[in-house]
Amino acid sequence: MTKIRNIAKYVFLTIVSLISIFPLYWMAVSATHASIDVIRGALLPGNYLFKNLSNLLIAGDVRGAMINSFKYSIVMTVLALFICSLAGYGFEIYHDKAKDAIMSVLLLAMMVPFVAIMIPLFQMFSKWGLLNTTLGFLLPTLSTPFLIMLFRQSARSFPHDILEAARLDGLNEFNIFLRIFIPTMKSTYASAAIITFMGAWNSYLWPKVIMTDKTSITMPMLVANLKEGYVTDYGVLMLAVLLCSIPTVIIFFLLQKQFAEGITGAVK
Amino acid sequence: MGNKKKLSLSQKQNISGWIFLTPATLLIAIMSFYPMIRAIILSMQSGVGARITFSGLTNYKRMFSDAIFMQSLKNTFIYLIVQVPIMLIFALLLASLLNDKHLRFKGLFRTCIFLPCATSLVSYAIIFRSLFAVDGYINTALVNLGILQTGYNFLSNPFAARIVIIIALLWRWTGYNMVFYLAGLQNIEYSIYEAAKIDGATYFQILRKITIPLLKPMILLTAIMSTNGTLQLFDESVNLTSGGPANATITMSHYIYNSSFKYVPNFGYSAAMSFLILILVAVLAAVQMKVGDKRD
Amino acid sequence: MKKKILSVLMAGALCSTLLAGCGGTKEAPTGNSSAADNAATAADDNTLTVWCWDPAFNINAMNEAAKVYQKDHPDFKLNVVETPWPDLQTKINTAGAAGDLSTLPDVFLMQDNAFWKNQISFPEVFADLSATKAFDFTQFAPGKLAYSTVNNVNYGVPFDNGTVIAAYRTDILEQAGYTVADLTDIDWNRYMEIGKDVLAKTGKPLLSSMANESDIIMIMLQSTGASLFDDKGDPSIVGNETLKKALETYKELKESGVMVLVNDWDQYITTMNAESVAGTINGCWIMGSIRAAEDQSGKWAVTNLPKLAGIGEQSNYSNNGGSSWAVNADSKKKDLAVDFLAKTFAGSTELYDNILPSGALATWLPAGGTSAYSEKVEFFGGQEVYSLLTDFASKTPKNNTGVYYYEARDAVAAAATNILAGADVDSELKTVEDTVNFAMGK
Repeated sequence: MTKIRNIAKYVFLTIVSLISIFPLYWMAVSATHASIDVIRGALLPGNYLFKNLSNLLIAGDVRGAMINSFKYSIVMTVLALFICSLAGYGFEIYHDKAKDAIMSVLLLAMMVPFVAIMIPLFQMFSKWGLLNTTLGFLLPTLSTPFLIMLFRQSARSFPHDILEAARLDGLNEFNIFLRIFIPTMKSTYASAAIITFMGAWNSYLWPKVIMTDKTSITMPMLVANLKEGYVTDYGVLMLAVLLCSIPTVIIFFLLQKQFAEGITGAVK
Repeated sequence: MGNKKKLSLSQKQNISGWIFLTPATLLIAIMSFYPMIRAIILSMQSGVGARITFSGLTNYKRMFSDAIFMQSLKNTFIYLIVQVPIMLIFALLLASLLNDKHLRFKGLFRTCIFLPCATSLVSYAIIFRSLFAVDGYINTALVNLGILQTGYNFLSNPFAARIVIIIALLWRWTGYNMVFYLAGLQNIEYSIYEAAKIDGATYFQILRKITIPLLKPMILLTAIMSTNGTLQLFDESVNLTSGGPANATITMSHYIYNSSFKYVPNFGYSAAMSFLILILVAVLAAVQMKVGDKRD
Repeated sequence: MKKKILSVLMAGALCSTLLAGCGGTKEAPTGNSSAADNAATAADDNTLTVWCWDPAFNINAMNEAAKVYQKDHPDFKLNVVETPWPDLQTKINTAGAAGDLSTLPDVFLMQDNAFWKNQISFPEVFADLSATKAFDFTQFAPGKLAYSTVNNVNYGVPFDNGTVIAAYRTDILEQAGYTVADLTDIDWNRYMEIGKDVLAKTGKPLLSSMANESDIIMIMLQSTGASLFDDKGDPSIVGNETLKKALETYKELKESGVMVLVNDWDQYITTMNAESVAGTINGCWIMGSIRAAEDQSGKWAVTNLPKLAGIGEQSNYSNNGGSSWAVNADSKKKDLAVDFLAKTFAGSTELYDNILPSGALATWLPAGGTSAYSEKVEFFGGQEVYSLLTDFASKTPKNNTGVYYYEARDAVAAAATNILAGADVDSELKTVEDTVNFAMGK
């Protein structure tokens, strides 16, 4: 009985996995074909990969876009994680009525579509001389209610006896956060890092509006450029899209191990 | 004496709490609330492009006589009501299956199931459209199985097109939500499960009695996020169906985008419609917080 | 063990914040310096910044234009920033609404269909080119010039041609016993007869089109000189006999199977490249996508489109798409931008000869007479396609896009979908007019 159930489990997970990766597989296969074969629906790998690659390198500054995307995404992830986890910790561990109320108000900030605040934001940044700067790129999404809430919710399962024990040991409040909370909550940090990195990596509308300089192109902008125009080379487009997807996948694969090891062991 | 010292200690802790949350809160205040106030003012103005004048609540009244906006409101709620519960239940199911120490290839399964939301929108849109095309794989399969006589154009029928959007959303976002549940499950001690299993509890009993109650904070988070994400849904409507057939799948955000950037720009009206979304999400989130945000 | 993990994590966290701090501070100067670079180029009187979007097409044309201009102005430099059209529109709206035009370039390309809308919405962005007296606008095809002429003032230098062609697979037509001559100078009734015959004999429809777009209907409309708006800019939809006739023809095309509808652009291209249709009707820029299927070389031919019989001017010519150059009125280098455009896109046959291989057809009439335009194109069975298209362009009736073009066009597309599903044409036209009136605030 258990055996059948076990097999069913594996079969189920395998089917779900296959459905999930099919588009990625198709994207990878398409990247190895000439445009016309992509359009005609190729499902097995072709031999056009290097031609597509050389065409892609001519079509856009792939190296520059990769470097920019990595730079923005890493800086964003590290800063956002630090600022928001500190706040989430503050909101939950020291919670009182006032802080709970502020949290609810903060949530409002993510509920209005970005298009609505984009023009006022652009006006502010133009006044402050932040157009065309990295800081201008980062600032609007550095602190998000979503991340704060994610850490606040996770901090709820942070054992209070650990907290009290650390205080008795004489650690100050910030050190408790830094030395105890961060290592304990690494699965939350891992998921937050994945989500933030992915968001920063794929961000398009705001960077496009605020960065007008040719040298500040990112990977999603490069992909968008390839799509526009009267004739699209689908092989080259799919290769660019593949290159644009790979970093998030790698980051996920590296960090997902954290989901396997919980707080058990690390704390005790 | 001792009492006094204790008080100052908890005061000290309270101050630390305030200091910790200040940077993030200030950033949100400046980067979101200030522009939002400006947008509220904008929503009470109307006109073409940059030449706008104060018009009071005209934009808000206008929404309710706008047939396309009303259609988009209806579409968005259909997605919300049908898709969000299915997605969250499915994500929870997958997370609990994958949170098994004895399961092999965990990492592989996890990565595969997460992949859809990391896959670029461009390829995802092309694939979903071609899957559901008249001569696409889905139709070929249905015809071969004898369910259909000839290929059916899913995207040309309002009902079928909405189903396609819902399937696409499920495919793209289930793994994303699963990540939060997996992370949340790690904060639950594994020994609780082992003990329950030894006591002879079934999978569904464990799910209902242990997993769900302990994951409640995360379930609340994902519920609010998904509600918000669905009410602001944009990509699928634009890329999969272009809002068609005849506006049957257009979402509120898609229509707001059109009225700001595709049509003659009417920023005041766009801002007004955006605030309706804000109010709707806020009400739904408040209900969810009321139900789910209790510390026991 | 536990301590080790802890300290590694902590060190990691600290390092990364420090790094980020450094990165941040390092970033700021580079950010500033790039802004300073921009300021430097802005101070450099000989560099123009241009926004356009297609490397193989309009970006290439701009670079070629720079080469032509550099012959007499050796110090001249061009900075072309690749900007997809939707983003260009977003940036103009954001900058225009925020009242800070400093991020906009000196010259930008504008979709013809969006020209009126943008000029009316953000007049401060568009330089008045009539007032400069640098251009002879009579040298442009009038149908094309109308797109960028608002209230008798020229705000744009016409660039690429959206002249409509009908392209057919000669080999498939032959199987059914027809030639391209049989499909030239015909009306839609004859097209339908031939189409049904071709479908019966070869199983291939003559035409494919996108379900959510109204391109075919708009093409029919313009071929008669009609439009969705009257001269005052008010919608003329209810009682517009041409539109009604176009919608009915569209329905017949679909129901007879002569036209097949697909859901998106990629599938539309597929129908041609994968040989599932025998022809297409679209702006001449579609030739680029047709030619992507190199193995079909010699099997295609180009001719004019069917006319809408019994209504209006009844021509076999129309337009779909195309774009024009605009000059930023706020630019400090407006004079240079005007001189550059006047001596290239409105004054150099050499430029147009150079960019012809990329498929960029001149709307500047003097360019159409050069020998380059009489080249025989192998892919289209040795036809002199370019001079043919120049001829089509000069015969295309004017179109009054109006300011609310996109609103009206989307409403017509929705109506067309409903009509195919069985809705009554007159009541759908009423809905379209109501939708447009609503958008106009009436």
